[in-house]
Amino acid sequence: MTTADLWIALPLILLAVGALLTLLIGAVTRDDTAATAIGVAVTLGAACWLLQTPPLPVAPSLGLSAAGLPRLFSCFFLLLAAGVLCLSSGYNRARGIGGEEYPATVLFATFGMLALASATTLLTLFLGLEAMSFGFYILVAVDLKRATSGETGLKYLLPGALSTAFLAFGIALIYCVSGTLAIHEAVQLTLTSGRPDPIALAGWGCLLAGIAFKLSLAPAHLWTPDVYQGAPAPVVAFLSGGSKGAAILLLLLLLPHAVDASHLRIPLWGVALLSMLVGNLAALLQNRVRRLLAYSSIAQMGYVAVALVSGKGGGYQAAAFYALAYGVISLAAFGAIAVLERQGCGETLDDYRGLGQSKPFASGVLTLALFSLAGIPPTVGFTGKFLIFTSAIRSGEIALAVIGVLLAAISVYYYLKVVITLYSKHTGTADASHPTYPEYSVLILASTAMVLLGLWPDALISLLSHLLP
Amino acid sequence: MIVPLAHVLILAAILFGLGLVCTLVWRSNVIMLLIGIEIMLNAAMLVFVGGSNHWGMADGQVFALIIMAMTSAEVSLALALVVYLHRRKNTVDVDEFRELQD
Repeated sequence: MTTADLWIALPLILLAVGALLTLLIGAVTRDDTAATAIGVAVTLGAACWLLQTPPLPVAPSLGLSAAGLPRLFSCFFLLLAAGVLCLSSGYNRARGIGGEEYPATVLFATFGMLALASATTLLTLFLGLEAMSFGFYILVAVDLKRATSGETGLKYLLPGALSTAFLAFGIALIYCVSGTLAIHEAVQLTLTSGRPDPIALAGWGCLLAGIAFKLSLAPAHLWTPDVYQGAPAPVVAFLSGGSKGAAILLLLLLLPHAVDASHLRIPLWGVALLSMLVGNLAALLQNRVRRLLAYSSIAQMGYVAVALVSGKGGGYQAAAFYALAYGVISLAAFGAIAVLERQGCGETLDDYRGLGQSKPFASGVLTLALFSLAGIPPTVGFTGKFLIFTSAIRSGEIALAVIGVLLAAISVYYYLKVVITLYSKHTGTADASHPTYPEYSVLILASTAMVLLGLWPDALISLLSHLLP
Repeated sequence: MIVPLAHVLILAAILFGLGLVCTLVWRSNVIMLLIGIEIMLNAAMLVFVGGSNHWGMADGQVFALIIMAMTSAEVSLALALVVYLHRRKNTVDVDEFRELQD
């Protein structure tokens, strides 16, 4: 192991050591403030370390990449994890989710995301994705005292395990055809110009099916509303922002190496259309806020699939931009919901009536996040959708772009329905509970990022177009 | 004796299909669902070993070994959940868990 290896692997080592340390802390004290503090310190420390320029682009003996795109997404995952940990501490205390295993599991899941981001072989990619999923299998069912918690875990674990099997089979077939596990060569050899090998295509089909589960693209979306409804709110923020971001990153690590990605156009086109339709239309009928956001997330992932279909016309940059944007929006939306639920808010739309007056801060952040999801300027959601649909038009996917824009226009209805409910008159009593300082800081940072990236997206866009050729 | 790659792939495809049918049809028992998923993963391992033999490289076999390790972790997690659910509702029928729905 050389110094360069150590330099590149240091964030992973930090996370692993931090996770073990949080578990050990639990033996000393039952107060989980210390464990959360260690978790936040470790994630922020690792994020700061990644801001430096690495000595080499690839670790010589470990095969971990420290190129620009992996480092950008690693930083994003680490900041997201820090935000989630800050939000969780108050929420978990109110819900009675105790113990040091919660922050430790969040750190293990983040470890998986970082391993996935820095993968240069299909093996590391697969292991990173699995390490992340294992963390989430535990996190969604962590609230053992609630009756629906076990069901949530079951409904996430079984489709997740099924998607793992698809993913492994897909990678196996790709390996069989290409004879290598290195991402660059394996993709280049299987997605060549001209007639590709049918076994390779079957492999790519299985791989896309596996990723569709993780991204909750229709028709593999059935777990999403149940998990979004049953899991603790900060975990949903992490799941929605982090695990979907990681799944998009996985496709972004694979697809740009293809010589000719048009063989995957038809399946991606189909899931994009179906996800946008199913997500937006099912969300129209929902009167529970979390399920509404779950269907909205299916639709949002449909937009990302549109970007992936129109890859060479700037679609990969648009998908990366939208992955980051959606992570920030999820953190803000489910962070605000976590704050509201901690203060005793129920799950139906009626419970949110009039919260704009009694809890102005959290309601304001939720409103901003909903505007962002609806794609109303000057928020980041507008910029992201603009990038996606221009890239679709540039690469000739006019039909998909038109349908997408129309469905996005329809989606404004259900987002505004929530906003109107928040700010309508309510005869309830105003209570004086306030968000805690960690909650304030995370929600303010996420809101600022949503507005700033909406107003001045140029820096991030030019960075992404530099990183993704 | 050398088995041609095509035969390994056909066998793996059949195994994968059997596992998939098992997970989709046998919904009355979580354990059977897990066994179906295991069979699908075994099909993937078989393809890895066959491919590794075909190309004369060891990395496919390493992948198969790591899938084994990963699967045992996954099953231990799933069985922990099954024990928890059984204690809660006294059943392992997937369709009995339907509190979360529209």
